[in-house]
Amino acid sequence: MLKLGLRSVLAHRLRFVLCTVAVLLGVAFVAGAMIFTDTLSAALKKNFAGSTADITITPVTALDTTAGTTSAEPPTLSSGLADRIAAVQGVAGTDPQLLVGGIQILGSDGKHTATYGVPIFASAWPHDPRTAPFKLLDGNQPWGQKQLGLDQSTVEREGFQLGDQIKVITPTRAVTATLAAITTPMLSGSSAGAPLVTFDAATAQLFLLGHPGWTSIGVAVHPGQDPQAVSNAIAALAGPDVRVRTAAQVSEEGKSALSDTFGGYSAVLLLFAALALFVGAFLIVNTFAMLVAQRSRELAMLRAIGASRGQVTGTVLAEALVIGAIGSTLGLLLGAGVAAGLQFSYQHLDLAVPSSGLKISVATIIAAYVVGIGVTLAAAYPAARRAGKLPPVAAMRDDATIPERSLLVRVIIGGFMFLMTATLYLIAQKVRGLPAAILLSLGAAVALLAVVMTSPLISRYAVRGLMSPFGRQAPVTLGRRNAERNPRRTSATASALMISVALISGLVVIAASAKASVDRNIADAIGTSELVVSNDGGGAFAGQVGDRISAVPGVSAVHRVRQMPAKADTRMFDLRGVDDGSLEGPITTKVESGSLDALESGQAVIPRNVARTLDLTVGKSFQLTTGSGKHPVTVGAVIAPNRQLNGIVVSLARFTELGGAPTDTTLYVEVAQGTDLAPVRLAVLGQLHDYPTLLVRDQQAYAQGERRPINAALGVIGMLLALAVLIAVLGIVNTLALAVVERTREIGLLRAIGMDRPQLRRMLQVESIAISLLGALLGVVIGVLFGASIQAVMVDDGLSVLDVPVLQLLVTVVVAAAVGVLAAVWPSRRAARLDVLRAIATE
Amino acid sequence: MTVDGFAGSDQPLDSAPGPGIAIRTLEVGKSYGRGETRIDALADVSVDFGKGRFTAIMGPSGSGKSTLLHCLAGLDRPTTGQVLLGDVDLTRLPEKALTHLRRDRVGFVFQAFNLVPTLTALENITLPLDLAGRKPDQAWLDTVIATIGLGDRLTHKPAELSGGQQQRVACARALVSRPDVAFADEPTGNLDSRSSADVLGFLHRSVRDFGQTVVMVTHDPTAASYADRVLFLADGRLRSELLDPTADSVLDAMKQLEVG
Repeated sequence: MLKLGLRSVLAHRLRFVLCTVAVLLGVAFVAGAMIFTDTLSAALKKNFAGSTADITITPVTALDTTAGTTSAEPPTLSSGLADRIAAVQGVAGTDPQLLVGGIQILGSDGKHTATYGVPIFASAWPHDPRTAPFKLLDGNQPWGQKQLGLDQSTVEREGFQLGDQIKVITPTRAVTATLAAITTPMLSGSSAGAPLVTFDAATAQLFLLGHPGWTSIGVAVHPGQDPQAVSNAIAALAGPDVRVRTAAQVSEEGKSALSDTFGGYSAVLLLFAALALFVGAFLIVNTFAMLVAQRSRELAMLRAIGASRGQVTGTVLAEALVIGAIGSTLGLLLGAGVAAGLQFSYQHLDLAVPSSGLKISVATIIAAYVVGIGVTLAAAYPAARRAGKLPPVAAMRDDATIPERSLLVRVIIGGFMFLMTATLYLIAQKVRGLPAAILLSLGAAVALLAVVMTSPLISRYAVRGLMSPFGRQAPVTLGRRNAERNPRRTSATASALMISVALISGLVVIAASAKASVDRNIADAIGTSELVVSNDGGGAFAGQVGDRISAVPGVSAVHRVRQMPAKADTRMFDLRGVDDGSLEGPITTKVESGSLDALESGQAVIPRNVARTLDLTVGKSFQLTTGSGKHPVTVGAVIAPNRQLNGIVVSLARFTELGGAPTDTTLYVEVAQGTDLAPVRLAVLGQLHDYPTLLVRDQQAYAQGERRPINAALGVIGMLLALAVLIAVLGIVNTLALAVVERTREIGLLRAIGMDRPQLRRMLQVESIAISLLGALLGVVIGVLFGASIQAVMVDDGLSVLDVPVLQLLVTVVVAAAVGVLAAVWPSRRAARLDVLRAIATE
Repeated sequence: MTVDGFAGSDQPLDSAPGPGIAIRTLEVGKSYGRGETRIDALADVSVDFGKGRFTAIMGPSGSGKSTLLHCLAGLDRPTTGQVLLGDVDLTRLPEKALTHLRRDRVGFVFQAFNLVPTLTALENITLPLDLAGRKPDQAWLDTVIATIGLGDRLTHKPAELSGGQQQRVACARALVSRPDVAFADEPTGNLDSRSSADVLGFLHRSVRDFGQTVVMVTHDPTAASYADRVLFLADGRLRSELLDPTADSVLDAMKQLEVG
């Protein structure tokens, strides 16, 4: 049977190419994700070997935060501790280290260097080069406040040379110093590969902390001593305020931290692999259904000469096996290419992500084949089973067709699924917030499947209506009737497109609503006579910025906002410290209960959505965990959801008590009544020339900046979804190409009685447009309903405004129609090339 | 070559047919392959088909009768010679013009699979006009429909019609555009005798009552007896003809053909 299957694949090469492409794309995503992850973890293992100190000592913090990116004070160790540890038996040397993130390096163009989200670190030059997280490559150790070191990647990317004046912004100040040393980037830990600025120890403490202290102590152990034993001895000496870890432990933790980061990419890839395979499965189902229909006489003949039902089913499945195997093999190769591309793009960004040769594990190969062959076999099975049911006598009959099951079963299952969707929707209305959004996503998936089940019925009625604007000329009528003649086929082809379009339009609605909500919230919260000062990229900046702005003529007040992460009831929130009076004007708020005066007495103000999540009301207390420990906090007021204050708000004084550093994350600058905003803004900028990363924006510019990440996210997801659309379009091409083969005689007849080639092309185009419009419209409807219901349950969580971008959605539908025209190009060229007489003579 | 006694055989080669001639071939030849493997399906066939006449073309399998019909109808291109429909030389027409000529000036009935399955009987009948973007002449359409006697089944799809009914619909379609010539390729090949009689009777009436020109290929002497004239082909050449045939005289002529 395998031989027969193989022969059949070879005989109908062309028809199987598209099937294979569908399998290939899905498998490529699966394999790409796995290879990328494997390669990365192999590289990490290599990287972590022997690049850290034998033992590392770090302060214990209640909350693990990346120091410097917010106003959280980096936790430190005292200098005395290093001396005490040096005396422990088995310790060969100690090297206190200072490493702080959230640094900015200014390029030669005066703008901060792009690092694509990788934080830049600054470090103190170590006493002992062996325990340092970097190595000196060129120049000399930096000395004093006028010298610094930079990593080689940054130096090369920016075209710096030894002796250049380099501008750097640390959490406490803006620094200009001479480039004295070129080092490697960070070599170890979870930030391996990150750009690095180095200063001598005293300068580093001043610039990075503003006071003496160390962020870790590296310990070298005497050769022959057991690091674990020495580690235990140190732990006993240092007490509970510090963590003591051996190199092996550090390496293990670092690896898991980095694989978490990159694991996200592989999860996204796997998600799209699932989508690609799902959409591709429709293509395969259709192809096999049509092939079995076309070959029913041949298959019935097999039955007539003695093949069993199982054997006939087997031949069809054998074909699926061949396709699955070829698709998986090619997909595996393409997957390796995808992984290599990802790796290359990271290296191209020069972020020195650890690299090694592509790692293709046995598990990846097995997964690729299991997924590829499994999906193909499963998708081909319904057709194969129907082939087995062909009565042998069909071989003798002219009109050998396989009876199709009635649509009733589909309608019942589809109806049940619609009920499920409705139930999920109702539950989501009760739950609200993020859990509701997840429920709704699930509901949308079920709704899509329900439409898939019932779409033959829908297409029966929808196609006529959809195509009515295209007129009643003969080719149009013929094309439309062709789309109607096999509702299952039309709807299965359209379904693949529907799924992709539903996801896209759902996303478009959510993104548009998010943008509209940002605009509305910012317009509500920030007045038109205000400037907002923040760091490009969101880091904290030195307090002197606010001081300087206060002195600018025309500025009536500067309100500081500080921000750091905090934990309440196992959830992370942004904790903000605000000036007195900030919430009455500069950041407009609507109090729902309690009073803002409570801030002065150290109580917290929280928005309604946070109150609901934590189940809090005015007067209730809760535990707040910050970097400095656990603190009891009382709720003083509940306000309406506010984008600028989404989290927990306390006074500046209380913020400092809770462990916050005196660095600001946002300044709200009020301009005196009757003063023009623009000249004041220029004057403020004039005071900040050594802080080129600070953005000084009015309400509109600020809103625009806040919209940017939404656009970026939309772009990336849109690109991946475009791939699903591509597979769906392949499906349309496939269906049409097979239909042309199936209707060869009919096309011959039409040509004989006078249909010219443009009319033939038009007929196929109309069929193609009918399929794609059906898919696109169903998709847009489901997508908009999905997006709107998500918005409804997320009203308090950032999606306060519903915006359905009609124009964009219309464009989607028009593009779908255009795609239909394109999909018909190749099949109609084949149809036009058919020889009339030979076409009529075909069986 | 020409056969003695054929109408118009003494006409000069490149002249258009006279007023009484609907379509004519001039030394038409059709060959497949080249060199040793070359097969001549038609060789030097020159023949005229009179207007308002019902001509049958007969011959054994492989005699070239269907090839001749296809060349006449503009479905196939001869290798040599000319096919003149009125004053148009079909062999010189580009593909698109030939397609439009088939649509506007020629009707065709095939042996089987004549109808588009997605269209109703009526839509199938008017399809050539619809493709041309023309309105059917309602009176003529009514006449044609009345003649095929399908009445209430006009809104049915082909799958709901019998083989004979399907062929009658095909005949109606071939006539609806009032073509210069209607061609039929073994139109009764798949039908029982009763349905055959219906179809042939219809073709016969269209010639007698409406002055339609019909050219039909058949291997059935009874079918041929409906024609005014029968041409006999063998090995791609015209061999003889018979005027006002009966089934018996056709049978005799065929026997002679096999002997000769």
